[in-house]
Amino acid sequence: MTAALLGHAHLLGHARLVDPFTPFAAPFLGRPLLLLLALAVAAGTVGVLVHLRRLEFSTDGLTHAVFPGLAIGAALGGTAGLLPGAIGAALAAAVVLALLSRRGQPRDTAVAIVLTTFFSFGVVLVSLSRGSGGSISDFFFGRLLTITWGGLGVALTLIAIAVALIVVTARQQLFAAFDAAGARRAGLPVLALEIIGTVAIALVVVAASASVGTLLALAVVIVPAAAARALTPSLPTAIALSIAFGAVTGWIGLWLVVQLAHSGVDAAPGATVALTMITGYLVALGAGALRGRRAAATPAPAVAQGAVR
Amino acid sequence: MSAQREPVVEILGGAFGYGGAPVLTGVTFAVQPGEAVALIGPNGAGKSTLLAGILGLAQHQAERFAVPTGKGEIGTLPQSSAIDAAFPVTLEQVVAMGRTPRLGLRWPGSGDRAVVADALAAVGLTALRRTRFGDLSGGQRQRGLLARALASEPRLLLLDEPFNGLDQSSRDALIETIRTLKARGVALLITTHDLELARAVCDRTLLVNQRQIAFDDTDCVLTLERVEAAFASHVMEIDGHTLATTEHHATEFPEHRHPFADDQLGEPAGEHDEAR
Repeated sequence: MTAALLGHAHLLGHARLVDPFTPFAAPFLGRPLLLLLALAVAAGTVGVLVHLRRLEFSTDGLTHAVFPGLAIGAALGGTAGLLPGAIGAALAAAVVLALLSRRGQPRDTAVAIVLTTFFSFGVVLVSLSRGSGGSISDFFFGRLLTITWGGLGVALTLIAIAVALIVVTARQQLFAAFDAAGARRAGLPVLALEIIGTVAIALVVVAASASVGTLLALAVVIVPAAAARALTPSLPTAIALSIAFGAVTGWIGLWLVVQLAHSGVDAAPGATVALTMITGYLVALGAGALRGRRAAATPAPAVAQGAVR
Repeated sequence: MSAQREPVVEILGGAFGYGGAPVLTGVTFAVQPGEAVALIGPNGAGKSTLLAGILGLAQHQAERFAVPTGKGEIGTLPQSSAIDAAFPVTLEQVVAMGRTPRLGLRWPGSGDRAVVADALAAVGLTALRRTRFGDLSGGQRQRGLLARALASEPRLLLLDEPFNGLDQSSRDALIETIRTLKARGVALLITTHDLELARAVCDRTLLVNQRQIAFDDTDCVLTLERVEAAFASHVMEIDGHTLATTEHHATEFPEHRHPFADDQLGEPAGEHDEAR
């Protein structure tokens, strides 16, 4: 499928190395690039919140929970059914997660149970509906290059709502993430803030899962913020770096897909972009470690002793 | 001092608890603007429950119960905070968090920045404002959290064992800050085990042990027999400081929840586990 689409890319130039700009003038590459840029903005807002609140595992649970929803949606309504399916599954997962936590299960246990249940259910559904729905790898890695203008519009809208929710409540979210007990004492609506944050995460996961697949959805929400944190201790810088990281790795990843197709390799676009992000993360980790070693060589600021707890 | 003014806190015949039998009963006291009141009693006496009750995080019954209720009108300094040292915020950003209750969803303006700078100056940490919060010493973090409480321009400050774990210079700085706040008209309610510090900064003292034992001028309340009555003879002297020890109470009430000491402040145990 990818190779068939990218066959057009051959018309764009004969050089062995594809230049990193012109391919994106073609709509089937321009649309995914736009989507990845929007997701980069989500990475710098929703992703940073996930990182600050250490919700990576919950987000992982959410992306896997969305998986059977995508399968059901695809089986019932084809591509148009993906989004309603994802939203339904995200809601169901959120309710189940809340109920399990309320029963006193530690959060990690609850997430792991939901993840396994929904995920197995999704795999069974996909294998039952073979032929009508799509392959498991389609749901994992999405149909990055086949996204339509309509699908792009819906995804951008969901991402915009999620980003707006976080931006509007940003300072309160920061307080609650830093010191939930202090925020509660100060009279902030901590539970409401948590719910708003979770809804924003779910919106991005749904938007990304239905278009770029569950695996890339997870990569987009988690990897840029983690990479930025490896590079800087400053929050404003981390936000800017997350956005830049998501945008640059998304762009390079798509360009790699084109480049590989030119060389006759049919690489899964979503997975290629995800791997590009991971590679970028490893580079950031290395750079951060180097900086840390240099900083350790110079006298470090007074490290807090145990007086506070 | 300003007895003619409206008290900031006025409680008559108050009982405080978490739904079951009240933890603390018979509470009658008032805090005037610019006055510091010491709240003294052994562990399990109900001090933290009283503070949580004033914040609306524990239940109360009272003939009269007047406390500040506006956004940001009560500032708190917990005994300890479960704060992640790696969290990427500077001291200044932490202090700015104190403005959020007053700001709501509005964006901070120059006035808010001035209040934050003022709060940092009040605790003597202006020079460290760009330092990552987790890199500060324990005493500096405590003062930073006090500055965060000040940034909401509170009428009432609740300080829970603010002197615990502080070195001498941080203690002196904190005493100085408390005096400055009193001069500005802020009312303070301070729990402490250090009776000398209570004498140093607190005009009046509220002595409790599951019920109110006394409330009067500090020197009248902190007589040996009254303190011994409250602490069941567990009073000792170290370095010229009279300390009321609580070890026997700590073992007697091992299940006692200390709402200010952890991040489940004032909430029934087990119900908010998912909030972590």
